[in-house]
Amino acid sequence: MGNLLSYIIFIPLIAAAIVLVLPKKLEHSYKWVTLGASGLTLTLAILTILKFDATKTGAISSESTLQLVEKTEWFRISLGSIGSFSVDYFLGVDGINLSMLLLAAIVLFIGVIASWNLKKKRKGYFSLYLLLSSSVLGCFVALDFFLFYLFFEFMLLPMYFLIGIWGGPRREYAAIKFFLYTLLGSILILIVMIGLYNSVYDPVRTGEMAGYNMSSTSIEQIQALVKSGQIETERLVKSFNMIYMADAMNYIPGSVLDNDVIKTVFGQPARWMAFLALLIGFAIKLPAVPFHTWLPDAHVEAPTPISVVLAGILLKIGGYGLIRTAFIMFPDGAYHYSWMIGFFGMLAIIYGALNALAQKDLKKLIAYSSVSHMGFVLLGLAAFTVEGVTGAVYQMFSHGLISSMLFLIAGVIYDRTHDRLIENYGGLSIQMPKFAVFVGIAFFASLGLPGFSGFIAELMVFLGAFKSSHVIGAIPSWMPIVATLGLVLGAGYYLWTFQRMFLGQFWVKSKEWLPEMEDLNTREYLMLVPLVILIIIFGIFPSLLLNLIENGMGGFIEHITASINP
Amino acid sequence: MIELGDIISPQTHSLQVWLVVLLLAPIGSFLCSCLLKKSAPIISSGVIGLTTVLSIYLAINNWQIEPTIIKGNWFRIGNSQLTYAMMIDQLMLVMAVVVNFISFLVHFFSIEYMKKDKRKPRYFAFLGIFTFSMMGIVLFHDLLLMFVFWELVGLSSYLLIGFWFEKKSASRAANKAFIVNRIGDLGFITGLMILFTQFQTFDLEAVKTLMVVSEIEDGNWISQFMIQGQEVVSSLDGRWLSAAGIALFCGAVGKSAQFPLQIWLPDAMEGPTPVSALIHAATMVAAGVYLLARIFVLLDAQALEVVAVVGAITAFMAAIAALSQFDIKKVLAYSTISQLGYMVMAMGIGAYTAGLFHLVTHAFFKAGLFLSAGIIIHQLHKLETDDIKFDAQDMRVMGGLRKKLPITFFAFLICSLALVGLPGFSGFISKDAILLDLAVWSDIKGGGFYIPEVLAFATVLFTGFYTFRMILLVFFGEFRLPGITGAKNLGDRLKDGNLNLLLPAIILAVLSFGFAFTGLGFSAESSWLAHALETPVYIVPISYAAQSLVDISEQTFKDLHGLVTVVATGLALVGIVIALISYRPNAKLEQSFIERREPVGMFGQVSFYHWYLDAFYRKFILKFFMLFSQASSWFDRKVIDGIVNLIPKITVISAHLTKWFDRYLVDGIVNLSANLAGRVGQATRSIQGGNVQLYIALSFVFVILLMLYLVF
Repeated sequence: MGNLLSYIIFIPLIAAAIVLVLPKKLEHSYKWVTLGASGLTLTLAILTILKFDATKTGAISSESTLQLVEKTEWFRISLGSIGSFSVDYFLGVDGINLSMLLLAAIVLFIGVIASWNLKKKRKGYFSLYLLLSSSVLGCFVALDFFLFYLFFEFMLLPMYFLIGIWGGPRREYAAIKFFLYTLLGSILILIVMIGLYNSVYDPVRTGEMAGYNMSSTSIEQIQALVKSGQIETERLVKSFNMIYMADAMNYIPGSVLDNDVIKTVFGQPARWMAFLALLIGFAIKLPAVPFHTWLPDAHVEAPTPISVVLAGILLKIGGYGLIRTAFIMFPDGAYHYSWMIGFFGMLAIIYGALNALAQKDLKKLIAYSSVSHMGFVLLGLAAFTVEGVTGAVYQMFSHGLISSMLFLIAGVIYDRTHDRLIENYGGLSIQMPKFAVFVGIAFFASLGLPGFSGFIAELMVFLGAFKSSHVIGAIPSWMPIVATLGLVLGAGYYLWTFQRMFLGQFWVKSKEWLPEMEDLNTREYLMLVPLVILIIIFGIFPSLLLNLIENGMGGFIEHITASINP
Repeated sequence: MIELGDIISPQTHSLQVWLVVLLLAPIGSFLCSCLLKKSAPIISSGVIGLTTVLSIYLAINNWQIEPTIIKGNWFRIGNSQLTYAMMIDQLMLVMAVVVNFISFLVHFFSIEYMKKDKRKPRYFAFLGIFTFSMMGIVLFHDLLLMFVFWELVGLSSYLLIGFWFEKKSASRAANKAFIVNRIGDLGFITGLMILFTQFQTFDLEAVKTLMVVSEIEDGNWISQFMIQGQEVVSSLDGRWLSAAGIALFCGAVGKSAQFPLQIWLPDAMEGPTPVSALIHAATMVAAGVYLLARIFVLLDAQALEVVAVVGAITAFMAAIAALSQFDIKKVLAYSTISQLGYMVMAMGIGAYTAGLFHLVTHAFFKAGLFLSAGIIIHQLHKLETDDIKFDAQDMRVMGGLRKKLPITFFAFLICSLALVGLPGFSGFISKDAILLDLAVWSDIKGGGFYIPEVLAFATVLFTGFYTFRMILLVFFGEFRLPGITGAKNLGDRLKDGNLNLLLPAIILAVLSFGFAFTGLGFSAESSWLAHALETPVYIVPISYAAQSLVDISEQTFKDLHGLVTVVATGLALVGIVIALISYRPNAKLEQSFIERREPVGMFGQVSFYHWYLDAFYRKFILKFFMLFSQASSWFDRKVIDGIVNLIPKITVISAHLTKWFDRYLVDGIVNLSANLAGRVGQATRSIQGGNVQLYIALSFVFVILLMLYLVF
């Protein structure tokens, strides 16, 4: 089991191939293959957690901090005078991506259960789903920027078809919008990636190329040699390694994104612009206000399991990307823009909640509540305090579980009536009492009731954000105070929706729906119950997750605060 | 220098097992009610009965205990270890007894009250959640955990207010209660943020220890301590010290229904009446006062003034509102708000002992009043048939019930006398103590601070009036329901409830006599309870601290005491006499009132509509947010998404323009360039075509162009 992470990525891929090969006669087995593959991936993800040594500390910019590393050269293209173009197959986990890997495995598994009754073009659906699984999981563990970008882009393809073929009435519009919007973000990321490649060298390979014995020479020595010009710029081996990109010493003197001699682009320091490009690129994915409008459309049109995967995992790639690239590689830029990031986080919390309050469609309401909750991620990151960034990651994890549950709930109703308008239902808790209990749990969890995971996350973000202005001065203390308003609005739209749909006398708009309005079935229990248990466990015992990510987040905050003088 | 790690390190005590049992037993009750549907009432009553016995046993056995803390680790964030701490002291023991005891009586009462309800198990399950969360607030000595249970109490309140969720008014009241409470909780969270930034812990004992060593220098609030051997100097602007107190108080404003968030409590009466007795009279709403008691020493002079003034305003406003209600539960609700105002005001003026004392006496007599009212409502409901429908809470259908429900009448009367505060009853002792401290406080402060005193004394008068108006309307005169419905013999079937209903009311009535708290003594000084709850000394830095009433000479109190007692009792009697004159059977006012749909005259209207607070919130605040949300939604769809959709449109239009340009102007002149432009036009036009390969190709072209730009 040395290549645990590779197995996690490739098992879904192999399963996708199996689904493609299996004849149409065996159509019923597709979902079993998919379930098996996701189950296996989940098991391996849990195994990864067990193998992970949470006590290990170390700098975020050092490869030795990583665990379960797999690193081999993938390909190298010689480009003549420009140098060579080399890409590594480089995987690993640390406190930053570990929780995301677990989340992805859980949500993907539950997504399969949610897809169980799908009838339309099953072969295509399940193979695309597996392809999506593979690229999502790969995205979280890839540590070579090129590889990361490959997985990142590769997600778009299955997602585009999953929405565009299996979606609702306006699926084509939604799919195109999702695709174009995300692509726009990708271009920005691509530009920075190219810039980074041209600015970062691999100290180990450079040392080897320059004839040093790397088993006896330290990376610092090579870095010193490069700095002093003893190893010429032409002889440097460039690198996509994200870990090297985190270390300011690995930037080529005089390059575009050099840390010492600041180059400018459009009259601004290039590093700040690079940060901004990454910020916007990932903010589209997150999504942050004002780049969020693809989300409600995509969610409304996507089939339930795809909404679940989209809200549960894909949005988190935005947050994860911000942490892994933008914040770690350009902490100076992050600090420079922290006020703005915090402000947009606060804005998203309130603006998303206000929009949710105005929605008539249940799925749209949940989509806007996602926008609101992702605002906490930005606010927490902008705080530059360990409480804030830990809260941001916790929020991503917790929101992954809670929003999955919310979309499954919307799916339960949609399956029965093919209608999601809030006003078309009333008093459902009389007819479907058990379902009402689950909806109640999901709503209260999402509005941040203590005892559920969302509360812990939001609390940490608030504490960290308030503390920020007094210890590091990244964001002013009024931001978290204003952001608390989101808690009231959250209670407002959830309770109002619950009142309209579940309380009062039982009523549905169409008589034809009446025979359909049955309480939860076994399959629905199977997907909702595990989520409830997880949401409560992580709400009462936060240390289960915090212990795993504690050192990673500590290292992260140490890294990003080291480059600024408070 | 103080090491934070030392003061929050885990500590155990032999009693902790019992505290955990006290906390978790109601969860057991909840689970039993969920699983064993049929026997839910009996089992859950039994469980709470046992915890009541346990809490009384613990209280008696440990009455003399030095305050003891039990601690353990919960989780870490960054450098900060968050703990759970429980405190064993007299205040906790008293509260534990009050909560469990009243909870038990309410369970017992509900066995009969909810007998016919088809969702009985759910009701008892919810009561279990409530008792659990309330005990959490009482037991934990840690602001974060108090907040956790604080919110859970809000949840159980939501569930119980909306118990009859088929009624729109009930679900609306439940929402209102939760959301209004949340508004207060924003303050609570803000308070947590401030204290955490300063002290990096929520453990109340640690916070207090660190507050003692805090100093004010150049207007900055500075605390120095060590965390894991590292020195930490926290420094916030001194104004945050006051802000922290006021922010935490906001939480209490929500939960204890203080001005300006008191609007949820009257609506909360939509819940079953025993629930009103337990949650919305005796325990949950008192949680705010309990919180104030726990953070009492952390409040600075400014925060305390705010607390005192808010309390006085609330007491007065609610007393006015209680004057003209028709619904018996509404009268009791407003009276509860008014009495909570007294307690909060007491905390604000530094009358810690008196405030908590009033909390305890009020818990018993108000629960007694609610349960007695519950008997009336329950028995009246039994008269309802398919033909005869009426509002069983409306005092206009009552009257003359003294003869029909004699035991209920006496229970109600005794509890009422305690509420009014006539000598010999429990309410007198605690209210007298508050008013005495208030008089001293006003004298020290002078100037505008006489206003709370005036308001508080005026409230005594109004309390006498509305209480006896209620008694006269309900128990005296003719039974009016037969006249209204036309069914002459309706009153014959009306009688006192069974033992399940009567026993709790009787017990609470007995506990409303003064001797329950003072033995043969007359005032608070002779009370065992008051002695147990001694006023602690403020520990905020000197320049921010308020003057403590503890430092005032006893002579000052003695000099004023006689006067205060005479004036307060006199005012209460005047109120009673006015009520007797105006609402005695067949008096003019009584007659006209019974016939009216709503009070006339400006004063009557202001009183009936509770100073139009509700209307204000509905018309301005709520409307503002709804409009704002509509506007945001419009902005989102039209402006933000409009721009997003506009970009491809512009692309398409420019593609067409290029094409036109290409065809009519360029074509034929320069074949090569025309051809090229045409291709560009085609390419850009198909941006909306969904051709995926093209997007990727385009993006690469774009990137290459940009790179060229950057490089050259």
